[in-house]
Amino acid sequence: MGKGDDMTVVLALDKITKSFGPVEVLHGVDLELHSGEVHALIGENGAGKSTIMKILGGYLAPTTGQVLLDGAPVTYRSGPEGEAQGVVVIHQEFNLAPDLTVAANIFLGREISKGLGLDHAAMRAATAELLTRLDTSIRPEALIRDLSVPDRQMVEIAKALSRKARVLIMDEPSAALTHREVEALYAQVDRLRAEGVALIFCSHRMDEVSRLADRITVLRDGTVVQRALRGEMTEDGMATAMVGRELTDIFPPKDTSSGETLLELRNFTVQSVVKDVSLKLHKGEVLGIAGLVGSGRTELAEGIVGLRPATGELRIHDRQMNIRSPREARDARLAYLTEDRKEAGLLLDKNLPVNLTLTALDEWGLRIDTKREKAEMVSARKEFDIRAASDDMRAGALSGGNQQKLLLAKTMLTDPEIVIIDEPTRGIDIGTKQQIYHFVRDLARQGKAVIVISSELPEVIGLSDRVLVMRMGRIAGEVEGAAINEENIVRLAMGLEREEEPA
Amino acid sequence: MKRIDLHVWGPLIALIGLFILGAILNPAFLAPANLSNVLARSAFIGLIAIGMTFVITQGGLDLSVGSMAAFLAGITIMAMNALVPVVGENWGTIILGMGVALLGGVAAGYVNGALITKARIEAFIVTLGTMGIFRSLVTWLADGGTLSLDSGLRSIYRPVYFGGLGWITWPIIVFAVAAVVGEWAMRHTRFGRHVEAIGSNDRVARYSAVDVERVRLTTYVLLGALVGLATILYVPRLGSASGSTGVLWELEAIAAVIIGGTALKGGRGRVWGTVVGVLILSLIDNILNLTDLVSPYLNGAIQGVIIVLAVVLQREKRTAE
Amino acid sequence: MKRRNMLKMPVAAAALSLMTAGAFAQDAEQVVIGVSIPSATHGFMGGLNWHAQDTIARLGEAYPNIEFVLATAPDVGKQVSDIEDMLATRDIDGLVVLPFESDPLTDPVKQVKEAGKFVTVVDRGLAEEGIEDLYVAGDNAAFGRVAGEYFRDNLDADAKIVVLRGIPTTLDNERVEAFQAALEGSDKEILDMQHGNWNRDDAFNVMQDYLAKYPEIDAVWAADDDMAIGVLEAIAQAGREDQMVVVGGAGMKDIIKRIMDKDPQLPVNVTYPPALISSAIEMTALNFVSSAPMTGRYIISSQLITPENAEQYYFPDSPF
Repeated sequence: MGKGDDMTVVLALDKITKSFGPVEVLHGVDLELHSGEVHALIGENGAGKSTIMKILGGYLAPTTGQVLLDGAPVTYRSGPEGEAQGVVVIHQEFNLAPDLTVAANIFLGREISKGLGLDHAAMRAATAELLTRLDTSIRPEALIRDLSVPDRQMVEIAKALSRKARVLIMDEPSAALTHREVEALYAQVDRLRAEGVALIFCSHRMDEVSRLADRITVLRDGTVVQRALRGEMTEDGMATAMVGRELTDIFPPKDTSSGETLLELRNFTVQSVVKDVSLKLHKGEVLGIAGLVGSGRTELAEGIVGLRPATGELRIHDRQMNIRSPREARDARLAYLTEDRKEAGLLLDKNLPVNLTLTALDEWGLRIDTKREKAEMVSARKEFDIRAASDDMRAGALSGGNQQKLLLAKTMLTDPEIVIIDEPTRGIDIGTKQQIYHFVRDLARQGKAVIVISSELPEVIGLSDRVLVMRMGRIAGEVEGAAINEENIVRLAMGLEREEEPA
Repeated sequence: MKRIDLHVWGPLIALIGLFILGAILNPAFLAPANLSNVLARSAFIGLIAIGMTFVITQGGLDLSVGSMAAFLAGITIMAMNALVPVVGENWGTIILGMGVALLGGVAAGYVNGALITKARIEAFIVTLGTMGIFRSLVTWLADGGTLSLDSGLRSIYRPVYFGGLGWITWPIIVFAVAAVVGEWAMRHTRFGRHVEAIGSNDRVARYSAVDVERVRLTTYVLLGALVGLATILYVPRLGSASGSTGVLWELEAIAAVIIGGTALKGGRGRVWGTVVGVLILSLIDNILNLTDLVSPYLNGAIQGVIIVLAVVLQREKRTAE
Repeated sequence: MKRRNMLKMPVAAAALSLMTAGAFAQDAEQVVIGVSIPSATHGFMGGLNWHAQDTIARLGEAYPNIEFVLATAPDVGKQVSDIEDMLATRDIDGLVVLPFESDPLTDPVKQVKEAGKFVTVVDRGLAEEGIEDLYVAGDNAAFGRVAGEYFRDNLDADAKIVVLRGIPTTLDNERVEAFQAALEGSDKEILDMQHGNWNRDDAFNVMQDYLAKYPEIDAVWAADDDMAIGVLEAIAQAGREDQMVVVGGAGMKDIIKRIMDKDPQLPVNVTYPPALISSAIEMTALNFVSSAPMTGRYIISSQLITPENAEQYYFPDSPF
């Protein structure tokens, strides 16, 4: 394992097709994973990346074609069987039991016993060794529920390692991580590569692909459209290959002018996280809020819309307001679009119209007007370009980008004046990102006031007329106009003095 | 895909199957008198189960309804008896007594709901507690025996259970109206939509400006009111209440809800399915009494099999998706 | 009748000792008697609970040196715990127990006996003989037999009978078997037997179904007055009051009243008095305050209540 020729093909797809019912989603895909190599699979949402990952891991069977492990057709028929043969998948949604310890999760299903009982000491020791190898400070006896999302990701990786992975398949490994944690992840990827593991991941972050991938495969509409080795493709080139057209103007021009103050905070404090924030938000303006994860960005937004108890002064149209619930926020024409689209944004097991109208329903009277609901759905699909097979499909079955557009449509149905969008493009492809950026600017153009909270600096920079940077629950500073650049924002976020005044 | 959706139609098919079985085994089964009996008997559990559908759909549970019915029947009878010297043996007394049942139900439901939503105690624990409390209270009020309605009042009140439009007696009418209104409310009103949304994911509902606590509380109050309504129909039947009134009604109601296709974890409510579930459970009893098919010792086993089957069918639907 | 007379003896003794109790109690040793009975889940048990509490209150006044510990249990497990607690923490000198079920309670009661305590078993015997000092019980076989014999001797030839059974238990089986035995060889026919679980609502449902199923029914053995109430209501609904007679059991006061008033639907009733707990408690108390040892078996046979003798079985104050 891991020895021998670096270019050995471990796992391969041979002319794979996959159909769901009458619809073929993969049209004869070939793919080779080499030991000691990192392979990036990129493409827009719906291009077939997830399906390929699932076929590689044994979670889905191909309709035609073969999956080859060490040159022979694979014998595993399920994820766990694949794991037993060293093919391990780290899913985007983690497979961890929140109430068990790290050690218990890592050995879940393969517990080490001593006589009748469990050998806790041995499992803890083995877990500690794995975690040390990964250079983390996670304790083996910590409960998963007490861990941060990146730490959980590390536990997933440790779990994969403990299963002696020869092939590691990662779906969007960095989607939930912050800047620093991403670096730790990259270090682990490098380490695994050096150990001879074959890695494949998919990602929407072009910088990540450039940094990690030895080999890149670009998918579009279920077909491989381009293959490249490290250094053969620029980030722009990747985006172009994925979308199939030149991507210009990802960000719309900042061409709206701001007017009167719509929202003002004075000494706004959200329990135990956000302290003494004062800000002004104007009509026709896009205000970015940047900062590290944990700096209080989301908590500030949730405090503003009444999801968290807050003190201090909140003024809308220069009138003092007391907003204690999302209902009162809605009535004040204040809307918040959550970062957690799956757990707080959409009812994944309900159909599209139900999701669309949920917030607005209170204004419709006692009875639900189904005709009106249908009509709203039609216009939302048109206005926000929501692509769905049918209105009756579950929201959970939509791609991430379409879910985000549906969430946007749902939020806008209440006709808010002030819109706070938290992580507008998390986990969605570049083409849809571009659409959403234009929607955001359109909102400003319609005279609404918009706050965009994002962990992706290019997004904050490209979208905002003005950027507030948060650090440890406080506003660390503000940059505007030409001063909006990565360096200034990072300095503020890290707590460093700015060297120059904004121009 | 033209496969019959067992999940939706299964309970209805089972109900029709039971009808045919009953008719074949004993011609008396189809007599209007028998059908009228079965439907009227179903009305108590049926009304409660309709309310229970809303509670379960929002992700809650109420174990106290059987005891609550006994308690409400007890205080209703005591109130009516106490009012006789004041108001007299007439409809006035009975209507006041009905008001006691209904208001008592609303109050009892409010207590459950407030403890769950405001004090934030698990629904299971709260209603397990109130189940014991209501049961003890009625036993205590009855001094361990039976509370009986004044016989004069009884004869005036009796037609509320036994009378009606021919074979269609009042309990059947009330049950049918409640079912239609319940289905409409679940499917076509904001309240029903909110109930489903909360059961589906209460966090999403909260973020979507739904007043989660109030909607939850309302479902418990609604259930309490329906228990009160069931009590109004129950009291005239035997004119009595005791510690053994309404024993296990809560489980029958929950079973009917589950058989009808409402998910126990919440998020999807089917009032008409609940009605079918209630009828299935009563028909099994009726058919087993009318025939000598199996030992009466096994009645419970047959109901158990049906409940488990219903849940298995729900599971099949999910994996097929 | 004979056995019943035997019971009267200690009751008379109790009356005697009442007179001396005041003086006697001053310097007497403190005695604790534990009473463990099922809780009031249905009418009959409700009556039994009432009689138990009533007796304890009465005896508590008469004998200040006797302290009673009453525990009611809704299930077998609780009853076992109750008895263990009484022995361990209340230091009882005597135990009066009406076992929920015979087998599970045999061992705990035996331990009380082995600790040297006086044990009185009421109504349901233990699985092992010779544990108890005193046994006071109703006669389940006689309860069924008396009803059966009444039907055999008083119904028309070829009369058709339906039966509502109680909760499936040994006790119910004994009653029903004796009922069937009494009718055996007669020209009366038992059409059907279903469980009404000693519950009004269940009995109502079962009777409704009987009425739908059988066009001709001449007599109903409801085996318990709670069930009889449900049965009567179902018959009234079907308008067939004049077609059949109903015989219940255990002497509920409302039913006794109707028998006294010569209701044609309710010709007779069979006793199974909940008051037997009173006799048991009294006799146990007497064992401690009088010199006469109260041991042996006392079976209170079931009597037929007729309009003529109904008055002596009528207790308007009892909840049952």
